[in-house]
Amino acid sequence: MDQGLPTVFDRRALRRQRTRAAAGFARHDFLVRAGAERLADRLDDMKPRFARVLELGAHGGILRDSLAGRAGEALHVAADLAPAMLARAQMPVVVADEEALPFATASFDLVLSNLSLHWVNDLPGALVQIRRILRPDGLLLASLLGGRTLEELRLCLLEAESEVAGGASPRVSPFVDTRDAGALLQRAGFALPVADADLLTVTYPDALALMRDLRGMGEANAATARPRRFTRRDILVRAAAIYGDRFAGPDGRIHASFEIVTLTGWAPAPGQPKPLRPGSAAARLADALGAEERPAGDKAPHG
Amino acid sequence: MNEQSVPSGIDPKLLEILVCPLTKQALRYDREHQELVSAAAGLAFPIRDGIPIMLVDEARRLDDAASTTRPEGAAQ
Repeated sequence: MDQGLPTVFDRRALRRQRTRAAAGFARHDFLVRAGAERLADRLDDMKPRFARVLELGAHGGILRDSLAGRAGEALHVAADLAPAMLARAQMPVVVADEEALPFATASFDLVLSNLSLHWVNDLPGALVQIRRILRPDGLLLASLLGGRTLEELRLCLLEAESEVAGGASPRVSPFVDTRDAGALLQRAGFALPVADADLLTVTYPDALALMRDLRGMGEANAATARPRRFTRRDILVRAAAIYGDRFAGPDGRIHASFEIVTLTGWAPAPGQPKPLRPGSAAARLADALGAEERPAGDKAPHG
Repeated sequence: MNEQSVPSGIDPKLLEILVCPLTKQALRYDREHQELVSAAAGLAFPIRDGIPIMLVDEARRLDDAASTTRPEGAAQ
């Protein structure tokens, strides 16, 4: 496990963060609730019913509350890296790592993952494992934090650290790019992959309140390249001042962006709708457009 | 409320679908010691308060039956 792929995230640190966050999580769960709403909305659009559901990275089972039986589930398993996050979940629970899933092939009709996959080191590998535990025509529905998340905080910390310490190190975890997410789904063998993103802007009294909230939701930096020591107090204070100058509204409250990427993909099955083969069209596109067809490489005349 | 049939026991529907996270092979349920044993990986995964802990870091190595689980030192 130590060789091979570079490790971006320290999964043990993440586990400790989640364990610490579990007790007070209800005060810091707005982001997880926002992600859960998006997943529940997507599910409302789906005709199929899903009897066996896995909630991966469950954060205490918030998603099941949002679903409230809408998926038609008979078995709903919650899995999380931290047992403390599962303590209050009223359902079968298991402590599991998204990077090494402990479920048999085709165990589930639906895998849900709400704001957890952005912590996975090997996202393509995790997606392949998820596809394997889905039955054919089973659905993956996931939300994760995208690349624009905390862009303001990232900028301010970088600037404050180079001012105060004369150098900078990553203090905000890296996130996946939305454009890459859809391609990853496809590479992992999912059919009909869809990835879209929306930006959520949240206001706080100041940047220190934002950082406290991040710790409260167990989402503080867990990148392995993060400094081993805590960020120096003077750097945090300077970053908060820069944040206040640049990203405060007229009311003095600062703005923080969270990009939520929502993914859907189906485990492949015969009889699923597929894109048509190139060249299989029965009518010419040029006819439909009323345009003149030209050989490729031939430039249309100007005018 | 969903009362579990066996106090601190594992949910039977969950037990049916659990496999070893490393080898994806079937597990043996050791009721007495509350462990899920993966013979292929040589690991025993603990069940604590009815919750299976399917993490390699937390598993007991089978060739070293006497030692207690030490999450931080076990991986070395």
